[in-house]
Amino acid sequence: MNKKQLMLAALSATLAGSLAACSGKDSADGRDGGAAGDKTKIVYWTGDRHDSEFIKEKVDDFNRTNTDGIEVELVVKGDDFDQALDMSFQTSEAPDVIRVKENTIQTFYKKGYLAPIDDYLSDELRAKFPQMDALNSFDGKRYSLPNYGTTMRLIYNKELFQKAGIANPPTTLAELVSDAKKITAVGKANGEYGFAQNFKSPGSALGRSARVIAEISGFGGFGYDFKAARYDFTPFKPIIEAFKQMRDDGSMLPGVESLDIDPLRAQFAEGKIGMYLSFSAEAGVYQSQFPAKIEWAAAPAPSIDGNVKGASGFLGGQWLAISSQSAHKDAAWTFMSYMYGDPILQQYQEKGFGISMVPSVSEVAAKPEVYGIDGFLPNAHDGVWPVYPAVPVQGAKSDDVFFKYILDGGDLDALIADLNKRYTTALDAAIASGDVVAEPDADFDPAKLAGQYAS
Amino acid sequence: MRLVWKAALWAFLLIAAFLTLFPILVTILGSFKTNAELTAGATILPSSWQLRNYAEAWRQAKFSTYTLNSLFVSAASTVGILLVSSMAAYVVDRMAFPGKRLYVGMQAFTMFVAIGAVVLRPQFELMIRLHLHDSLWGVVLILISAHASAFFILYSFMSGIPKELDEAALIDGCSRGRTFMRIVVPLLTPGLGVCALFAFRGAWNEYLLPFVFTLSKPELQTLTVGLASLKYGISAASQTHLMMAGACLSIVPMLAVYLFANKSFMQMTAGSLKG
Amino acid sequence: MRKTKELAFSYGFLMPSLALTLVLGIYPIAWAMRYMFYDYKGYGKQTFIGLDNFARVMRDGEFWHAVSNTFVYAGGKLALSIPFALLLAVVLNRGLRGRQILRAVFFLPTIVSTAVMAVVFFAIFNAYNGVLNQFLLKYKLIGGAVDWLGADHAMMTVVLVSVWGAVGNYMLLFIAGLQNIPADVYESASLDGANKLQQFRYVTVPMLGPVMQMIVMLAIINALKGYESIMVLTDGGPIGKTNVMFLYVYKLFFPTAGTGAASQIQEIGYGSAVAFVTAIIVGLITLLYYFGSKRMNRYA
Repeated sequence: MNKKQLMLAALSATLAGSLAACSGKDSADGRDGGAAGDKTKIVYWTGDRHDSEFIKEKVDDFNRTNTDGIEVELVVKGDDFDQALDMSFQTSEAPDVIRVKENTIQTFYKKGYLAPIDDYLSDELRAKFPQMDALNSFDGKRYSLPNYGTTMRLIYNKELFQKAGIANPPTTLAELVSDAKKITAVGKANGEYGFAQNFKSPGSALGRSARVIAEISGFGGFGYDFKAARYDFTPFKPIIEAFKQMRDDGSMLPGVESLDIDPLRAQFAEGKIGMYLSFSAEAGVYQSQFPAKIEWAAAPAPSIDGNVKGASGFLGGQWLAISSQSAHKDAAWTFMSYMYGDPILQQYQEKGFGISMVPSVSEVAAKPEVYGIDGFLPNAHDGVWPVYPAVPVQGAKSDDVFFKYILDGGDLDALIADLNKRYTTALDAAIASGDVVAEPDADFDPAKLAGQYAS
Repeated sequence: MRLVWKAALWAFLLIAAFLTLFPILVTILGSFKTNAELTAGATILPSSWQLRNYAEAWRQAKFSTYTLNSLFVSAASTVGILLVSSMAAYVVDRMAFPGKRLYVGMQAFTMFVAIGAVVLRPQFELMIRLHLHDSLWGVVLILISAHASAFFILYSFMSGIPKELDEAALIDGCSRGRTFMRIVVPLLTPGLGVCALFAFRGAWNEYLLPFVFTLSKPELQTLTVGLASLKYGISAASQTHLMMAGACLSIVPMLAVYLFANKSFMQMTAGSLKG
Repeated sequence: MRKTKELAFSYGFLMPSLALTLVLGIYPIAWAMRYMFYDYKGYGKQTFIGLDNFARVMRDGEFWHAVSNTFVYAGGKLALSIPFALLLAVVLNRGLRGRQILRAVFFLPTIVSTAVMAVVFFAIFNAYNGVLNQFLLKYKLIGGAVDWLGADHAMMTVVLVSVWGAVGNYMLLFIAGLQNIPADVYESASLDGANKLQQFRYVTVPMLGPVMQMIVMLAIINALKGYESIMVLTDGGPIGKTNVMFLYVYKLFFPTAGTGAASQIQEIGYGSAVAFVTAIIVGLITLLYYFGSKRMNRYA
């Protein structure tokens, strides 16, 4: 009996202790609120981690120097950013300023999270920041402005290429396959392999590899044909076959099917991987998080047959947006226009957090101070693709179907025919219900997308 | 013969203990490595011991602030779950009343469904009406409401306690309530102990609930929310080394609770209490 | 009069549990599940489509594949963890020196964060430089590197990892159940000349009966529902080999962020329908077990 009473007493003591702690904090906050008086408090959510120290410093500067009595609270979220944002809107605790990304802004717009900023935009700002449909503008209204963009490249280990006697990075699928084979043949005894991709998530792996190979070859990176306004995965056939060939040759790192992006990067930094395809953010990772022990560089992604008929995707077009639920939209804009000022945008590129997408900034900003960034800078083949209509397809997604073929084989033509059928059905249903608009564009020329951002 | 048995038993136990501890050993050693060394694998011992991982994790996950919040949520919901489910288990096992099957079926149903965060929205709207949406009490109430497994465990333990005992007490003139508190609850200690431990652990590890309920009050966040912030960042690699250090740190309070529960409940058998 | 009082007492004691369960358990589930009759993507229109979602469940090959994976996963997990936990519980219940330390050791895995364990088990099991392969290769127990997380072995690996994480739980529950058996029952049994094995057969097993039945029932439900460790370890892959039904449901509600916008589409309506079907599957299996084990008890 005594023991039990003791236990209960201890529990209630803990309880009372924490309660006191909580209420203590609450009252402290109350005092703070009182003293701060009429400060307008706005909350800014970002999912970016690579630039968080820099952004924090800039937010602190703003809080110290702004004369409008605005105080910004920076909240850095992790990979649960989207889910957290959904929750915050459902519970009316939404942030005022939201970091939007290439693959989230459409969803956030459709969910009604974003407020148009046209009223705040002067003609000068309109001209300075390129307008891009579905990337920062919807139905003629602007919701965000570009800051930096991300390029996609083949990232390769120069030392392994040299060892295998390969002079230049591959420019065709055939070279990709044979280079991977050569590197593996020379290096396998040391645990060095020609190719890897983070196939633990086929969507993430193919979204940074097959996608850009298709795009630079002139095809939509997600199987959408902008000319016909139809889904057609046929162009992916040679790409997926090349991947399968590398897998069958044993040129891929063992266990590639359960490889996540970070272990991949760590092995690349150790010098164990010949090449892989990914985004320009990799340069920063090898500078700070996984210091690369090898000479490496980035090169344009190979095309299917050496003919560049499209544009290597330059992703971006948006950065910050104002929440539709914000009670302090004016203050949020004041902060946003501070963040979009030339000094910050310029430093953003120079410190290597991203490659500027604002023409007036990229003209003056110096090259980023990051090893290996040169290969990532936009060239004549980089360009911004229009946004494809996302549809809720029934059954297996294209990435999963393709990866299954890479591992298990099968009849690729039949698989592609089935994908085309299912994606088209979903597209037609989405058009019929008014969820998406998809109209053929006979003049669409992917080659014309390239070049505007060449430095 | 006896000796052979004993040796075999110990060999089995030691191998099992080694296999159980090995991944934890890897975690602890990993928490002292650099991110690059840890993520690349290949080494068991850190090539240089990174004590600063712990300092970083402590600072970034705001351990000192959040631990108290976590303790509060876990302790309060544990007490609540034990109370609510032992009372229900008592009447379901000992009394006859209409609707009993329906109640048991309903508890079972809540265990069959798992739609995760989708139920958060109606729960949150209810809490707004109760004005508990930005306090940890809301979290505690929702955690207490999920007591189906505690109920079933205690229900089964309850049926192992001889009915003659409480009948004798009733005949002695003890009320039902007193019988429950004085006779049944003490006999239930092993079951209550293990349920308390599981309830505490469940609350300690709960992530989404405290996260949602503290969106506007970051000072009320719990440790899991702080730990999650160590995890990934977009456009960068995850800080696995800090995650590991944070995980090792957060084991410590939980282990203390285990030792406490083990000492308080699981030492005594129902028989020894009687004497 | 007595009867009314008893009833009032019963409902009074049941009330806190009943009220909390109804308001914060059942109502939110019902609120969310009504979407199973709708086409709803998390925003925009909610179109009532009757039973169309259920028709889709019936022809959804991926889902039924996940269901059969779930049976393999749950079966393997239960077959390994329950006997192992029971054995440990019996051995560590009393008598043995050092049992407190060993109990704590076996309990430890249940308190380590799942996300961190995914990293650790990748370090142990990965084909390229995993600790396990290095060990097995060094002692020539395998001819070449085995891809423990590859399509052929991933299911076995996730089962082993889940057993590792579950044994401690069931061991503690069994210990608590054993402690629930009054000590004097053993005393009288040993006075009657029963040896340890006979005591186990004629005292422990029947006395542990109801508790054991419940523990196994909870273990079945948990095994059928478990997906978090799989999600972080293999994410259901490679090529769906470790995809279990609750992971499938989770991904319909919370699609994992890929690089394309299509990966962001939430299937709230369809996901609710699938969640309903999975609940029925879990419920049926639990009931089957419950009545089956009751029957066995009667004949035992």
